[in-house]
Amino acid sequence: MEELQNIAPELSKIKKENPFKVPEHYFDDFSARLQMKLDAEKIEVPKQQKKIIQLLKPALTMAAGFALLFTLAYWPLKLITPNQQANNTGIEIDINEMLYANMVEGIDQNSFYALLDEPNNSTQLSDEDLAIIVNSNSSEYDIFSETIK
Amino acid sequence: MDTSDLDLIADLKNEKTRDLAFQTLVNKYKERLYWHIRKMVMDHDDADDILQNTFIKVWRSVEKFREESSLYTWLYRIATNESLTFINSNKRRSMVPMNDTSEFLMNNLESDVYFDGDEIQLRLQEAILKLPEKQRIVFNLKYFEEMKYEDMSQVLDTSVGALKASFHHAVKKVEEYLKNID
Repeated sequence: MEELQNIAPELSKIKKENPFKVPEHYFDDFSARLQMKLDAEKIEVPKQQKKIIQLLKPALTMAAGFALLFTLAYWPLKLITPNQQANNTGIEIDINEMLYANMVEGIDQNSFYALLDEPNNSTQLSDEDLAIIVNSNSSEYDIFSETIK
Repeated sequence: MDTSDLDLIADLKNEKTRDLAFQTLVNKYKERLYWHIRKMVMDHDDADDILQNTFIKVWRSVEKFREESSLYTWLYRIATNESLTFINSNKRRSMVPMNDTSEFLMNNLESDVYFDGDEIQLRLQEAILKLPEKQRIVFNLKYFEEMKYEDMSQVLDTSVGALKASFHHAVKKVEEYLKNID
C-alpha cells in the first residue's frame, strides 16, 4: 500500500470503506429465500424428464416443421383442386347437355318421324329420350293430333 | 485449499449430505460474493438476483466441480460471469442507447437507494466505473477485497503479470480522475 501512496496520493487519502448498504436483515433472510427458489426449481422439471425432452427436442422440432409445411401446402391445394375438378365436370355435363339439346332442337318434326320409321336405324332411344325429344319439338296439340292419326 | 472447503466439497458431492453442505456453503460465502457482485452491478436488487442465480448455478454444477481450483475462486468465477452476463444483457435490452457499460452502471448507481457514501465516495465510484471492464474488476478485487493475484488469476483466467499491469493502469486512471474533479 506504500506503493499506492506513491503512485496515487489522491486515492490514498480516501478512507477505504464500503459506501453501499443493504436492506435490514437482508443476509439473515437470504438463505431462506434461496432455499424457496431451489425447491421450486427441483419441482419444476424432473432431471430425467428434462434429459429426454432435450434429446427429443431436435426430432420434435423437425416433425413439427414438416407438419406445418404439409399443412401449409396441402390444405390450400385441397381447397382449390376439388373445386376445380367439380367445376370442370360441371362444364362437361353442361356442354353435353347443350349439344344434345341443340341436336334435338335442330331436328324438325318430319325428320324425327322419318328417323323413327327407318328400318335400319340402329339407334336405340329410351322412352325418356323420346319424351324429351317430343316435348322439345312438339306442342301438346301436335302430339295429340299425331297420336289420333 | 482450505481443509474446511475440501470437506465441504466432499459433502456437496455426496447426495446424502448435499443439502446441509450447501446451506453451509451459502452461509459461508453469501456476504463476500454479494459485495463482489454489488460492486460490479451497483444496484442492490440486481445484486440480489445475481447472487441467487450464482448459488443456483453452483447447486446445479457442483457435481462436475473438478477441484482444479479452490472452491472460493470457483465461486468468485461463477459470480463474476453471472454479473457480466447480466450487464451485457441489460445493455442490449435497454431502450435508451448507451455508449458503454459505465453509463448503464452509472445510472444504476444514481438510482440506487442503498448507496450510503459521501461525495468523495461517489466520485471514487464514478472513477471506477469509467475504467474498462477488466480493469474495473481487477481494481475492485484488489483494492477493496485485497484478493491475492494468484487467486485472482484463477477467477479471471488471466496471468498474474497481466493482472498486476491491469491494476497499475486502473490505479493511475482513478488517480487522474480524482485529481481533475474540481
